[in-house]
Amino acid sequence: MTASVAIEGLSKRFRIGAMREDYATLRDRISGMFRRRPKSPETREIWALRDINFEIGHGEALGLIGHNGAGKSTLLKILSRITEPTEGRALLYGRVASLLEVGTGFHPELTGRENIYLNGAILGMTRAEIRHNFDAIVAFAEVEKFLDTPVKRYSSGMFVRLAFAVAAHLTPEILLVDEVLAVGDIEFQRRCLGRMNEVARSGRTVVFVSHNLASIETLCQRVVLLSRGKIEQIGPTREVLISYLSRRGRDAVVDLSAFSEREGEGRARITGLEILTADGSGPLDAIEFRSSFRVRLHYRVHERVAGASFGFGLLTTNGERIFITESFESGRTFDLEPGEGTVDCVIDTINVLPGGYRFEIWISDIPGVQATDYLSNIGEIEIVVSAEAADHSVTTLTSGLRGVVHLQTTWSRSR
Amino acid sequence: MSATAPLFVIQPTSGWRALDLRELWAYRELLLIFAWRDLKVRYRQTLLGAVWVMGQPLVTMLIFTLVFNRVAKFGGSEHVPYPLFVLSGVLLWNFVSGAIFQAGNSLIGSSYLISKVYFPRLVVPLSNIFVFVVDLAVAALLLVPLMIRYRVTPPLAILLAPLVVVVAALFALGIGLWIAALNVEYRDVRVVVPFILQLAMFATPIVYPLSRLPERYHFLILANPMTGIVEAFRATLFGTSLPVGALLWSIAASILVFVGGAFYFRRMERLFADVL
Repeated sequence: MTASVAIEGLSKRFRIGAMREDYATLRDRISGMFRRRPKSPETREIWALRDINFEIGHGEALGLIGHNGAGKSTLLKILSRITEPTEGRALLYGRVASLLEVGTGFHPELTGRENIYLNGAILGMTRAEIRHNFDAIVAFAEVEKFLDTPVKRYSSGMFVRLAFAVAAHLTPEILLVDEVLAVGDIEFQRRCLGRMNEVARSGRTVVFVSHNLASIETLCQRVVLLSRGKIEQIGPTREVLISYLSRRGRDAVVDLSAFSEREGEGRARITGLEILTADGSGPLDAIEFRSSFRVRLHYRVHERVAGASFGFGLLTTNGERIFITESFESGRTFDLEPGEGTVDCVIDTINVLPGGYRFEIWISDIPGVQATDYLSNIGEIEIVVSAEAADHSVTTLTSGLRGVVHLQTTWSRSR
Repeated sequence: MSATAPLFVIQPTSGWRALDLRELWAYRELLLIFAWRDLKVRYRQTLLGAVWVMGQPLVTMLIFTLVFNRVAKFGGSEHVPYPLFVLSGVLLWNFVSGAIFQAGNSLIGSSYLISKVYFPRLVVPLSNIFVFVVDLAVAALLLVPLMIRYRVTPPLAILLAPLVVVVAALFALGIGLWIAALNVEYRDVRVVVPFILQLAMFATPIVYPLSRLPERYHFLILANPMTGIVEAFRATLFGTSLPVGALLWSIAASILVFVGGAFYFRRMERLFADVL
């Protein structure tokens, strides 16, 4: 098998604070010319990717999984040439098209027809190619009647169908796809998946990032599992998925003792967060959709807190709150004496749709009034659909247009 | 390892980079389609688009005529009456300042694209210029009734007016590229730009003829590359005298600013997606 993409020692460093603090503004820069300022030691460096090495074979469909922040998107962005690596290199043996979003550059004022040309050009198609595929795109999207309507009048379903249809007719040798199947209705998602399958089988190389392990399993022969910017595991899809779901993370406790962006008066502090199996027998790297699991909060008490209530909530990556739960709601408060300890909360069924989420955590002694400690946007966690658990309806579930939660419902005809 | 050579190698770059005109050429369709998109959106409501494009300079001309001609007693230059003089200046100035402003903000305006797709980033500011060219052409129709009214016959040199516009576009794009790239590094740049543009208008003979100024200050105004461009624009429209030296300086400065801006833009380009 010849390589289609060869990645050699690829690393990407983000300097947090470098731009922001050193010379944030031209004014600072100009005043800085007159007095030499010591370089800010606050500059934090984060390696989003560290020494990534692997090859993707010609015609191979490769899946890329890992937590939010594991470096999947960064890797995809480097391969798409949107951002540059800090070290290492990647050799591309073919024309690359990337699909990091559905409908990139769609203009609401323009008609469907016009947007096909615009979006096609943005994705790297020539006008001749677009013209050649035009009818196929329109047929795939099922928007014939609305071709000359501005897309701002489209329903979100139509919009997504059209956008995906354009992308589906890209014919690069290497296609990079980031979670774009997470949109549209189930029937359409199935067709998208089918189309991706076709693309992969037609000898093109596909790199596919998704939280939806079921579609990864359908589509990919091999999977790379990234963790904190490094390759954790690489191998046949099934093997990697199974170990991803059952893996015992080496440092399962998210250490929060040095986390500084917190609120609250501080008599007690949250020092760690752990996600465990429901019986507490081992840590979880990802939470399975509709499964039960255990959240363990580690705390340190500096000064006695009587009647403390622990709480946490789940946030979307955009910071929107999905739910919160507090121990006092189930009648439990705790008298905290100076020292350290942990409290556990078991969630019976998590019906939040697959995707990436974050936590907010707090301790309060008078619930809802004043926090003793409050931290937000921490502990990234993935909710995934496992291939085994996937029945027909679940295979295509991912947060996005479907909202964030999934309800068990029973439908019947009432008359 | 594949035996054939890779089509593309992704690796870190640093410092100054070549402009890579070949790649830019390969993306010419995207450039044109961006321009077409902007025009389409601008002129979608044909009437409204044209009304805005013509109304703004018309009103500006009327106000300037009232203030500077009637009150401050500025005249036009040579045989050109003030309203015509000031309108021609305003048209070209709107073109240049609009293009500078737009190019300067182009990256921020397209950040949703830049963080999602690769294309040579120069395509964005370059494509922006087309709308301003069309706006200028449409607004220039205002000159026709005024020239008839004041019996100013255009010389044959009017055919060269588009060339003057090309120089103006080059200058505007050049400045715009500097601003766009600086914008990425220093966030306060775009706050200053409108203010500087406003000041710059008064450092250019837009509302006053150069002859109104004492001779000893002429060199200052002539050092401004925009002076040669505006004066040359008027010379091609109305047959006023052409300051050849000033025009040559403007051309040289425009090319310098443009090429320098393009290189600086390329240098900063690799940071765009990380910073935006």
